Amino acid sequence: MLRIISNLRLLNSFPENMHNCQPVRWRRKPMWLPTAKSKVFRVPPRPQISEEEDNELKRLNNNYRTAMNSIRRYLTNRYSVKLQAKADTEQLKKAFEEDLARCKAINDEWNAELEKVRNERIAKQLEEDIKFAENRKLELLKREEEMLAQAEEIVRKEKELVGTFITPEMLDEAIENAINNPVDYNFAIDLEGNKILGRETTPVEKAQVKQ
Amino acid sequence: MPYKYIGRTTNYKGKTLWEIIGNLKNFGVGRLVIRSTFERYPETSFFKILKVEPLACPEVQTMDDQRKVRVLVEKTFRGITYPKPITIESTSYKADYQLIPKDEEHKYTSKVEAKRDIKILQRTMEFPPLMKDVLMRENKAKGEDVHDLKLEIIYHKTKTGKYRVAEEGETPTVTFQPNMQELPKISLYKNVKLSSV
Repeated sequence: MLRIISNLRLLNSFPENMHNCQPVRWRRKPMWLPTAKSKVFRVPPRPQISEEEDNELKRLNNNYRTAMNSIRRYLTNRYSVKLQAKADTEQLKKAFEEDLARCKAINDEWNAELEKVRNERIAKQLEEDIKFAENRKLELLKREEEMLAQAEEIVRKEKELVGTFITPEMLDEAIENAINNPVDYNFAIDLEGNKILGRETTPVEKAQVKQ
Repeated sequence: MPYKYIGRTTNYKGKTLWEIIGNLKNFGVGRLVIRSTFERYPETSFFKILKVEPLACPEVQTMDDQRKVRVLVEKTFRGITYPKPITIESTSYKADYQLIPKDEEHKYTSKVEAKRDIKILQRTMEFPPLMKDVLMRENKAKGEDVHDLKLEIIYHKTKTGKYRVAEEGETPTVTFQPNMQELPKISLYKNVKLSSV
């Protein structure tokens, strides 16, 4: 039954003209199916191999494996491209040096180009720096001049004020003047916002509201 | 009731290690135990118990879950005693151990070898005929020496130290025979006659 099913399954995947073929492979049950009911309790007999035969089989197999390993290793060493390349150190060294020389030439070229650019850049930078320093110097001088002018102005104003100072000689006169002309700094503000100067002053008429 | 075994047979013969030493005085320290698996070799193999450390018993002891035990033993394998003692723990559940009665211990201990003769294996061998022919032709085309073509033998490396490959110019004690040039004298080849080609 199993065989029929698996054959049918296979046949479905075959082309039209291969219907008459019988597959030789995959005739049995697939691996993933459980043990057949009729085979569940079957105990396969252990193979009885005589000691002599067993030893001889072991000897032959061991010899075969050793010989095959030896041959395989020999062929690998002799023909492996990877190992050959590794072994040829002279050629590797030569190739390396050639590559290095080529790389060096390219590097020198790049260095020369870069040197040119760098020199230009440095000259430009120097020029700019000198210009900047000169500008700064000029600005500094200008500012110093301005400061000096400001100071001169202050001195001039102070000198003007010197004439109004109260000297000991004119102290009595100044006191007299102050007594004769009292100044009242008090003031009041009415509801309309008018400022009424003086402590004792009475508003005579209604003043206009200051807009 | 005796067990009635069904199914496939096993190579093991004996009891688990705990079944043996759990019944002995002082856990059988100083006694000899053998693994029946190692009895296949002609040389003697046994364990001498040095120290025992019992382990917990499984809650339900079945045939698939046997009690283990940690045992320090002096191992003698194929006639050679190991320099350091080894621990048996992970294999102690195997029903493959047998106790040696005290009066039979000398049968095992007396066969221990002090030093093993190291086999010296052949270093090189002949190439297979066709391959040799091809290689010789290739070498000739390259202008190299065509004589004395020998294949270096690659042996399986083991740590047992029972054999080593011969040095250059050393005479090997064991020759390697990959071909059927000479058949061993056993009953299998009794009626085989090699035609001399």
